[in-house]
Amino acid sequence: MEGPDFNRLTPSIQICNVRRAAPGCITGAVETREGQALKILVIEDDATTGPYVQAGLREEGHTADLVTDGREGLLQATAAEYDVLIIDRMLPGLDGLSLIKTLRGAGVRTPAIMLTALSGVNDRIDGLEAGADDYLVKPFAFGELAARVAALARRPGLQEQETVLRAGDLEMDLIRRRVTRAGQEIDLLPREFRLLEHLLRRKGRVQTRTMLLEAVWDISFDPQTNVVETHISRLRAKVDKPFGTELIETVRGAGYRIAG
Amino acid sequence: MQQSLWLSLLFVAASSLSLGITYYVAHGAQRQAIEQSLTQDMAGFRAAPSAAALAALVNAETRETDPQRRLLSYRRPGGRVVAGNAAIMQQQAGFRVVALGPEPVEISGRFISLSEYIHGGLLTVAQSAKPLDDLRQTFLWVFLFSLLPATALAMLGGVLLARRSARSLRGIERTLSALTSGDLGARVPQAGQAQGDITRIGRSVNRMAQAQQQATEALRQVSADIAHDLKTPIQRVAVQLSRLQEMPDLPQEAQALADKALEETRGITSTFQALLQIAQLEDGTPRSRFEAVDLREVAATFAEIYEPAAEEQNRTLSLSLPEAPVSVTGDRALLGQLLANLIENALRHTPEGTGISLSLRRDGAVAVLSVRDHGPGIPEAEHQKVLRRLYRLERSRTTPGSGLGLSLVAAIAGLHGAELRLSDAKPGLRVEVRFAT
Repeated sequence: MEGPDFNRLTPSIQICNVRRAAPGCITGAVETREGQALKILVIEDDATTGPYVQAGLREEGHTADLVTDGREGLLQATAAEYDVLIIDRMLPGLDGLSLIKTLRGAGVRTPAIMLTALSGVNDRIDGLEAGADDYLVKPFAFGELAARVAALARRPGLQEQETVLRAGDLEMDLIRRRVTRAGQEIDLLPREFRLLEHLLRRKGRVQTRTMLLEAVWDISFDPQTNVVETHISRLRAKVDKPFGTELIETVRGAGYRIAG
Repeated sequence: MQQSLWLSLLFVAASSLSLGITYYVAHGAQRQAIEQSLTQDMAGFRAAPSAAALAALVNAETRETDPQRRLLSYRRPGGRVVAGNAAIMQQQAGFRVVALGPEPVEISGRFISLSEYIHGGLLTVAQSAKPLDDLRQTFLWVFLFSLLPATALAMLGGVLLARRSARSLRGIERTLSALTSGDLGARVPQAGQAQGDITRIGRSVNRMAQAQQQATEALRQVSADIAHDLKTPIQRVAVQLSRLQEMPDLPQEAQALADKALEETRGITSTFQALLQIAQLEDGTPRSRFEAVDLREVAATFAEIYEPAAEEQNRTLSLSLPEAPVSVTGDRALLGQLLANLIENALRHTPEGTGISLSLRRDGAVAVLSVRDHGPGIPEAEHQKVLRRLYRLERSRTTPGSGLGLSLVAAIAGLHGAELRLSDAKPGLRVEVRFAT
């Protein structure tokens, strides 16, 4: 189960921008570190976005096929085994919503992310009701998509069943609702506890601002204020600051994660 | 129901009238026949040559006559009956007739009589009015056995019809209220080929709903098309900017420019998204997903979300909540967005360090959600204008924001049937959203 830990190959904890290779950073190391190269089907008709997504996913170490027509996408998605489907909502041939409905009707349970220009609350619910597992509004940053692809492919997560979550010298006891670091107890508010728990459960995986908003606060719109940043910085003040080393990392252009 | 009773009453009146006229005509004809027969009798007796002959004639007739049906009496002046089968005596109330036959017979009933002096005596011929009484009796039976059941049937039918139309009307009412609350798929149930007025109204309602649904669908399609046609190029620009950033040896300055341009694309998107969302809210569709929402929970959650952001600007975000839950019917996500917009509005347009208070209270049957800041406020004259799309106060031109925050709040409030009130908190702006509970 445990793949080679590529992180050991880097001199220190190196945050790689998922799209920009920096010296000392192994391209794709962040997302495929657990040895999980995914097979992804991208169904997107836009001539710029499609190839960009495909190239980005390939750089991450995944295999990515690109199809530009809805009908063709449906055939491809049923014909081959994929780990994740990325489906644009408005497609020539067959629209994304009908495509997912048809797939689910045919018993294809492959996790699917819907890309869409439609951002209304109802559009989102329609997408999820049709059978999509996640819903990403255009324009999106590639980091956002990459993080969501990783999150989908790894459901169920590694630490889902644990009652004690650990990262470095941090320990979270889910039953006694107690957090300690280096043996020292840390007092967290309920929502801070939930935020930390969410990051710990997805150790090593980037969680974007919008993913955190959805999971921790149940908000699906984009606030204009840096609310996530302020909550993270409060959490850091309690969890990281007194101990010198940072557990909660900022991944530029993408989000946050706790190193695995 | 009332109408059907009136109709039944009208039916009874018309039937009674026609039955009455028929009776009057039949009665008149019968009476005329009796009177004619009396006149003929009288003419026969008048032909007698003398008083004695007349008496003999009367006596001869009398023998063959049933006194119950026909009376004959010939009296001399002085009152003695000379011939005939009955003595007719005048009394206070009408006449009394005494039979003069071999056996005493009591004669009763009505008679129609004709009297004439012939040969010095008064001859009276009378015929029983029994046929007239029989006629009346017959008509009475006709009335009882035809009109009353018919009336009962008419009333029963009327009541049933009234019930049915009441049911149809309720169907129309239900459909209309479903349509108003955003369920554009609601239709009046159509029962077969019935062609009543109500059925026609039902069809019209359905046609109207159909048109409304098509218009809404068209609007949604246009919005979706615009969203797609504009967002796809924005996505492309974002992609191209990201590619630019990935170029090796990109000067720091170019990097910063690309970052800024990317930030701009996000701004364009959020303005655009807000406009689309307002359009969607105004067509009322989200109402079909309404459920019970506890405003107290929403207020507490959002106060908590924004508290660190407020603290970062050296502000206090105070929260005051009632003891009991305050439940309204609505969409939790949208109500959260409404509150978030109000808080962000206060954070953006008031100087750092000034406080913001969030409160929820009950005012009778009204739940009042209010956000109050301690900033410069908004001049009274501008209160309505700031709810307009893209309207911005002169002094806010340079602060970030799309100018859609408050119009989005207004749209969400409108969708929930809530009233939005802006007032001067002296100092600061108070925005109240008043929900009916």
